[in-house]
Amino acid sequence: MEPIRILLSDDHNILRDGMRLLLERQAGFVVVGEASDGRETLDLVQNHQPDVVVMDIAMPNMNGIEATRRITEKHPQMSVVILSMHYDESYVIRSLKAGARAYLLKDALKSELIAAIHAVTEGRSFFSPKISRILQEDYVQALGRKGADDSYDLLTDREREILQLVAEGKTNKEIANTLGLSLYTVDTHRTHILQKLNLHSVPEVILYAVRKGIIS
Amino acid sequence: MRQRPWLVLVGGFGGLLLLMAAAETGALLFLNSLRHSGNTLQSHFLARNRTLEQIRSDIYLSGTFARDSLLAPEISGSRAQIAAIEGLRKETETSLEHYAQSLEPEETKPFQALRSEIEAYWKVLDRTFSWTAEERNKQRFAFFYDELIPRRTSMLQIADRIAGLNEESLKRGDEKLGALFGRLQLWLMLMIPVTLLGGAALAGRTIFHILRLEGEIERRLDESVQARTGLQELSAKMLRAQEEERRALSRELHDEVGQSFSAVLMETENLLDLDPSAEARPRLESLRGIAEKGINEIRNMALLLRPSMLDDFGLVPALDWQARETAKRTGMHVQLNSEITDELPEEHKTCIYRIVQEALNNCARHAQANTVQVAVRRETGKILLSVLDDGSGFDPQRVRGLGLLGMEERVRHLGGTFEIDSQPGRGTKLDIVLPLARLNGNHKNGTNPHPSV
Repeated sequence: MEPIRILLSDDHNILRDGMRLLLERQAGFVVVGEASDGRETLDLVQNHQPDVVVMDIAMPNMNGIEATRRITEKHPQMSVVILSMHYDESYVIRSLKAGARAYLLKDALKSELIAAIHAVTEGRSFFSPKISRILQEDYVQALGRKGADDSYDLLTDREREILQLVAEGKTNKEIANTLGLSLYTVDTHRTHILQKLNLHSVPEVILYAVRKGIIS
Repeated sequence: MRQRPWLVLVGGFGGLLLLMAAAETGALLFLNSLRHSGNTLQSHFLARNRTLEQIRSDIYLSGTFARDSLLAPEISGSRAQIAAIEGLRKETETSLEHYAQSLEPEETKPFQALRSEIEAYWKVLDRTFSWTAEERNKQRFAFFYDELIPRRTSMLQIADRIAGLNEESLKRGDEKLGALFGRLQLWLMLMIPVTLLGGAALAGRTIFHILRLEGEIERRLDESVQARTGLQELSAKMLRAQEEERRALSRELHDEVGQSFSAVLMETENLLDLDPSAEARPRLESLRGIAEKGINEIRNMALLLRPSMLDDFGLVPALDWQARETAKRTGMHVQLNSEITDELPEEHKTCIYRIVQEALNNCARHAQANTVQVAVRRETGKILLSVLDDGSGFDPQRVRGLGLLGMEERVRHLGGTFEIDSQPGRGTKLDIVLPLARLNGNHKNGTNPHPSV
């Protein structure tokens, strides 16, 4: 099996060094380059064509969220793992909207980093357990505050099944194959799910699924 | 020179009034004495004139009586005339005595002449009374035309001269009065300019003083206005500096110190990967725990100083975070209703965020509220912010904590209005309006000067 090609993007040399050491000791990972800001990242992505970019958010020249947007627009096959100090949902949702598939906190353990890289190469999302927990707590609290009913209860079993698959990053075609349904049926379910939950995009679905604890 | 204004005014105008009163009283007294002198002069003249008239008529009458008595053939037939002449003679003597009392020096000579002339006249008349009937008959006409008439005429002439002198005396008195009037005129001519000049001087002094006082007041007003403006500018500057420092510190903690801890964490993981000895492993695991804890603490400190969302994404995400944090920390229900989509000027953003932060703190700390509703919305040219809680409330007239003062100060710097509506037991409502007019000016730049995201 080909090793997973990884690009590191962080403005802290020491951290990058540590990370490179840590990742290269893992079988099946190879670090193809290191960038210290957003613009350099874009250049190196062009040159090295990595499978995964591990990206910090706060960087000079161009921040990680903007760099993520440009990378995933131009190279849809590449996956971005955000590794950030920020744990507020405003950073998570913006990263997801920019196209990142995983969001890790910088106090993450080695195991989380490795798990996240594996998950995104398989097309799944991954979040630091801490992030998942915070998002879930906030969500539960917000529901309690508003006294609103959980719209998740409105979903049918089939819709919940499809919601999870969408949140895990599966395309409609993959979902249709997995569940043995027609592409048209999957698309209809998907539309219903978004309407019932008042969501508008895949990142929002992912965030919702994380908040509900459907995926982590 | 420090003088009380009332002293100056009372002194100035009082002095002026006194001067006017004195001048007027002097003139009145003078006029009064003049009138009195005039009256005396007039009555004196009239009395003397009357006496002279009396003398003249007595002499004239005595002549008539003498003629009548001589015309009688016998002395016995002229008794009545002789008695009348006797009476006239006495009357004339009394009148002469009377006139002599108020004799003017230049009248002395003619008066003596008159007197001796009259004496002689009576003597001549006396002589006729002892005439026999024959003597009478013979000398009657000669005496009448040669003695009596010339003597009478001479006496009347002297009396006329005295009357003339009397008139001259009146004229002299009038001249004296005229001179006195002249003096009054002079006095008035002197007093009027003195009063006017004094008044002008006093008025000038008073006006000068009042103007100086006014100038002083204006200067002090200017000074205090300047001082207040200076203080406000200083306080605005300090607020900006404080915010800037918080931002820098927050970012430094987050991006530098935090990252270093991350690096420590990463390196510890690397060491743990190297199969450390049984002794070293628990130490390394402890180190990993410490680094993890450090990262968390630094992140929290940075957020408390100034949440990075405020600079990275704007006001609403920062308020969202603040509302969630407060709810989590205190158990209050925080409802946030923000209808702001576009980016605001830096100062407005910070102002609103800090006010909401302070208000939520107050709700949790002092008001023991269950629910807080925060609403931010934009209308044309202004932003409206309200914070409503169901807590214990207070009397805004009496209680004005540092927190509220700080909020008010921030709002005033941006030219906004700040209203508190609260009563003990009735909760609290803050209403804030921030104008956005300055957007067109130098506050146009609403984006973060040090963006990282």
